[in-house]
Amino acid sequence: MTTRRPNPLTGPRSAMTRRQLLMRAGALGAAGMTLPAFLAACGSDGGSGASATTPGTTPGTTPGTTPGGGGAGGSLFFENWPSYIDPTEDGATGTVDRFKEATGIDMRYTEAYNDNNEYFAKIQPLLGRGEPIDPDIIAPTSWLANRLIRLEWLDKLPLDQVPNAANLRADLQNPAWDPTGEYSLPWQTGFAGIAYNSDATGREITSVDDLFDPEFAGKVGALTEMRDTIGVIAMSLGIDISTLTTFDEAKPAFDKLQEAKDSGQIRRFHGNDYFDDLSNGNLAITIGWSGDVAAIARDNPAVKFVFPESGATSWADTMVLPKGAKNVAQAAEWMNFVYDPVQAAQITAWVGYVSPVDGVQDEVAKIDPELANDPLVFPDDATLANTKGFAPLAEDVEAEYDAAFSSITGA
Amino acid sequence: MLGLGALLLAGGLLAAVGTRLLTGPLAVLALGTVLASIVALVVVATMGTPETRRKIAPYGLLKPGMLWLALFYLAPLFTLLRLSLSTLPSRFAVEAEFDWNFDNYVTAFTDFGPQFQRAFMYSGIATILTIAIGYPLAYVIAFRGGKFRNLLLGLVVIPFFTSYLIRTIAWRSILSDNGIATGMIGKFRLTWMLETMGMMDNGRLINTPAAVIFGLTYNFLPFMILPIYVSLEKVDIRLIDAAKDLYSTSTAAFRKVVLPLSLPGVFAGTLLTFIPAAGDFVNALYLGSPNTTMIGNSIQDQFLVQNNVPLASAMSFVLMLIITVFVIIYSRFFGTEDLA
Repeated sequence: MTTRRPNPLTGPRSAMTRRQLLMRAGALGAAGMTLPAFLAACGSDGGSGASATTPGTTPGTTPGTTPGGGGAGGSLFFENWPSYIDPTEDGATGTVDRFKEATGIDMRYTEAYNDNNEYFAKIQPLLGRGEPIDPDIIAPTSWLANRLIRLEWLDKLPLDQVPNAANLRADLQNPAWDPTGEYSLPWQTGFAGIAYNSDATGREITSVDDLFDPEFAGKVGALTEMRDTIGVIAMSLGIDISTLTTFDEAKPAFDKLQEAKDSGQIRRFHGNDYFDDLSNGNLAITIGWSGDVAAIARDNPAVKFVFPESGATSWADTMVLPKGAKNVAQAAEWMNFVYDPVQAAQITAWVGYVSPVDGVQDEVAKIDPELANDPLVFPDDATLANTKGFAPLAEDVEAEYDAAFSSITGA
Repeated sequence: MLGLGALLLAGGLLAAVGTRLLTGPLAVLALGTVLASIVALVVVATMGTPETRRKIAPYGLLKPGMLWLALFYLAPLFTLLRLSLSTLPSRFAVEAEFDWNFDNYVTAFTDFGPQFQRAFMYSGIATILTIAIGYPLAYVIAFRGGKFRNLLLGLVVIPFFTSYLIRTIAWRSILSDNGIATGMIGKFRLTWMLETMGMMDNGRLINTPAAVIFGLTYNFLPFMILPIYVSLEKVDIRLIDAAKDLYSTSTAAFRKVVLPLSLPGVFAGTLLTFIPAAGDFVNALYLGSPNTTMIGNSIQDQFLVQNNVPLASAMSFVLMLIITVFVIIYSRFFGTEDLA
């Protein structure tokens, strides 16, 4: 249920359109948790932002991109989360179209990736039988990328053809979910922390304990994404989530959440469909994603995001090649393209999440100086030091975590 | 006899192919037989003597429905039953292994008791509410609608023009803490009353059991109104006049004449409401809280999040069984055979 929906965060010029897009994606995403088929249909429709059919034939027009392969032509299919890339709009050319123009590759970009578990259920019957799926690149969150690596359902990335991969942020090299760094390149990263509506809370929030304050009974939410909800609570209990290997280590966090759920403290568990509730005060305080909250705050300044004193969880959505992907050389060109800071800055300026590419801050400063100073998009080292990623879990341990979590969320 | 035999054989073969009991050349052979039986039917129907045609006609008319049910009802049902008795060799295995694993059923009963209880309690209350609201409405449309009858019926159906999901999600903003509904209730100082009645919790309407029941009632109301209307509409108004001529009061005339004649509609409406409501997960998802989840939510979670297909299948089967038992008991008491 991780319908994490990237948010629009750039200038007010077209904030309204993006906001609408956001809400639409939210509604569809929420529906996707329950009606995969319905959603899949809507999801592919959502890809229209990148559907311009002008396979450019002028390679090399974009400065700073000289793909290792250099070969023009061919095709490529990238299935990503909704609203997770800058579209062609208001006279600006979106990243996908710029890529098509620069390389001559006929790229298909869809937004049918709405939910990690749902998407896994969709690809499992094929990849599990050793049959390829249609997309050449998909965007699982790091923990799912880790599962896919362990199941051997991924191909290694052709990193020798992606010179710009050298721009990968140092802290994301050889990450826990992909120790050799051979299978995945992060697409965007971000944090889960506390989101609150200061009108509804009546005070500033700094600590995870405020989630359990009886004053907010029935007005507290949490994410259906197990690693973010349990992660944030566990860190407040002094548990190091980056080294978890057994269920018992994290049990205190589950117990605390269970207690809060039983007492009616928690109103509901949500995917990315919490914007309205948070904005209108149905939820006073919840666990939320950094980029999302910044987007709501544009409409409602009372909505705020804080890194809890005890720390926030960090996550990454990745680009991986499902086993048997056909257009590997083209995928390499794409990854090289989006790891060019100039291109990556365009994406960051639109989606407002933390870019995995070094050097983006300087490029964003040229586009939107205000954004370049946003601590949620370009967190300082002290903030980063206070965030942790959830440890990769062995298959049977993960099953225990998932079962315990779903018995709390009530499903 | 030959016609019936061919019909059952074709249905059985198609179902066997659908469940992948027959694969490879055997499946091709089975499909060929089904096709041949259809061709034979057409040949007999066009070239046979009037006598054979008359004999074969009923089976011919049954054939499309039979084949449809075999492929899209029997085959999936059998597959589900088989899956519910299977074990996954590993968590992310593609194929579950069939091994008469009844543990799935044990787990379905022991771990999901509260969700089953809530599902039947909520859908039961919602069904009673739809009768309470829908019956008078259908009565007014049928007997007092006059020339506005079709318009009024149209108004009942209009919500279907909008997606079920969208309507349910829309209730979230209407019922929200600072929304219209709570505002009105606060204005008329009814909050304390609704709180005592258990319809509000801590000053909020949404994310409560009442909100889930309300959502179910709202969403299934037309399914109750329409069948009741149809049965009331057929009631001959002169029967009421006759009752009154025989010195019956209006109440007695309704109780002894109209109500019994409309019971088939209530019976049909109850089935159309209760059965889907018991398996519903949308209302609990959008209008409920973690303490109001219904069995539908659990099944969805087991299928799509936990990847535990055998357990989810067992839960689906238990749900179907309980509903079937309810329906049998219900039709014993409210059965409509003697009302024809």
